[in-house]
Amino acid sequence: MLAALRKELLLQWRSRGQMMAVFVFGATSLLLFSFGIGPDASALRTYSAGFLWLGLLLSSTLTLAESFHAEMENRALEGLLLLPSDARALYYGKAIANWLQLALLGIALVPVMVILYDAGTTKVLQLIGIILLGTAGLSAPGTLYAGMTAQIKAKQMLLPLLLFPLIVPALLASVKATSLVILGDPMGQSKAWITLLAAFDLIYWSLCGLLFGRVVEE
Amino acid sequence: MSGVVQGGWEFVIAAYTITALGFLIYGASLVMRLRELKEDD
Amino acid sequence: MKAKLPWIFLALGTLLLVGGSYMGLFVAPAERYMGDVQRIMYVHVPTAWNWMLAVLFAFGCAIAFLFTNNLKWDSRMEAGIEVGVLLGFLLCCQGAIWAKPTWGVWWDWDPRLTSVAVLLVASLGILALRGFVDEPPRRAVWSAVATIIASVDLPIVYFSVKWWNSLHQPQSTPETVASAFHVPLRVNAFGVLFLMIGFIMLRTRVAALRLKREVDVPQMHQEAGELA
Repeated sequence: MLAALRKELLLQWRSRGQMMAVFVFGATSLLLFSFGIGPDASALRTYSAGFLWLGLLLSSTLTLAESFHAEMENRALEGLLLLPSDARALYYGKAIANWLQLALLGIALVPVMVILYDAGTTKVLQLIGIILLGTAGLSAPGTLYAGMTAQIKAKQMLLPLLLFPLIVPALLASVKATSLVILGDPMGQSKAWITLLAAFDLIYWSLCGLLFGRVVEE
Repeated sequence: MSGVVQGGWEFVIAAYTITALGFLIYGASLVMRLRELKEDD
Repeated sequence: MKAKLPWIFLALGTLLLVGGSYMGLFVAPAERYMGDVQRIMYVHVPTAWNWMLAVLFAFGCAIAFLFTNNLKWDSRMEAGIEVGVLLGFLLCCQGAIWAKPTWGVWWDWDPRLTSVAVLLVASLGILALRGFVDEPPRRAVWSAVATIIASVDLPIVYFSVKWWNSLHQPQSTPETVASAFHVPLRVNAFGVLFLMIGFIMLRTRVAALRLKREVDVPQMHQEAGELA
């Protein structure tokens, strides 16, 4: 599996120009959200967490769809999957790579969020932690469905359609947790939401890994 | 909630009607689909 | 006899539902605080219970298919999902109609309603997915996988009122509901249950017949024949 992961990270490093484009896409989304609200500074700050995660979600449709591009181009999928453990290695390799990509994007968007919405915080480590957990929750089902939809023609339409409902709970938890970090947490609710997020991650990462093999078999 | 919610029968009727219609229309759609499939056999 | 079974369920279900609703509307007393609007519960709660059953059924069929690779489970799962969408949609309508006079709003994004909406949209997505895949075996595998992942939301729906301070009422059980209201509730619950079973059976037949048309192979005929 480490080999699969190394290969994925190498592929991503090679296409780092694309990462820049995705970052611009994400930053632009955050900008557009602020236009949607208008010059209401306190409202912007209140909803900043929501905007951040929405921006991440939208960007994820781009990165996730791309993640199977290489295999699809060269019809390499069948060749890689001679053993069941191959499928799992492939899945986790891609899921981890997607996760890192999204997490990096999330962290990169934080300064944008701070500037646009005046949504700074001193609890940087906690924020990074939430971004890591939340993007993990996006990446696991996202990679599974990306692998599925990459094989059919209507992929662009289907990936968001399938993915979005499923990640709503994880998204909500991420937004809540982030919001508490930015706006303050007088009643100590963060722990509950972070635990929930961790639980989702656990369930999805194990379930999707288990099921991925069936999704890419011939 | 203090006091009693007065009336509201319109809501009750609406809810029951939508439910009944939902079941009826779905049932009818099933019958139509089955008929169409059996014809071609 | 076997071919008539779904119709028997439908007839029984309709009878029970009409009877239960009559009792709920005209015989049961008005609730102390909610007044007559509470009578919506006599359809809403049974719909909720049976919706969750439909989702659970689809989940079971998905697992059964992945283990057996027998397409008859795929047909049953498709039926379960579609009937689930019907019940889920009715559930949201009934709930909204109840919510307007009591909560003041048609909808609220509290945990229970949100998780129900999630499952409903996810189910629609699975049906859409099926529309895009032509080969039956692949379609079956993919929608089974998607169904299993979507079903993760069901425990959330069920426990949402317990885990969070939800706007929605806690579970209706015999302990939380006064006995005067039990009978119509139970009758309607069975009414919707039988209707649901009848619908699922017929819808499975539709799916099996369509499959037969798609894959005109002798063994498919045999399996579809077993179902119909």
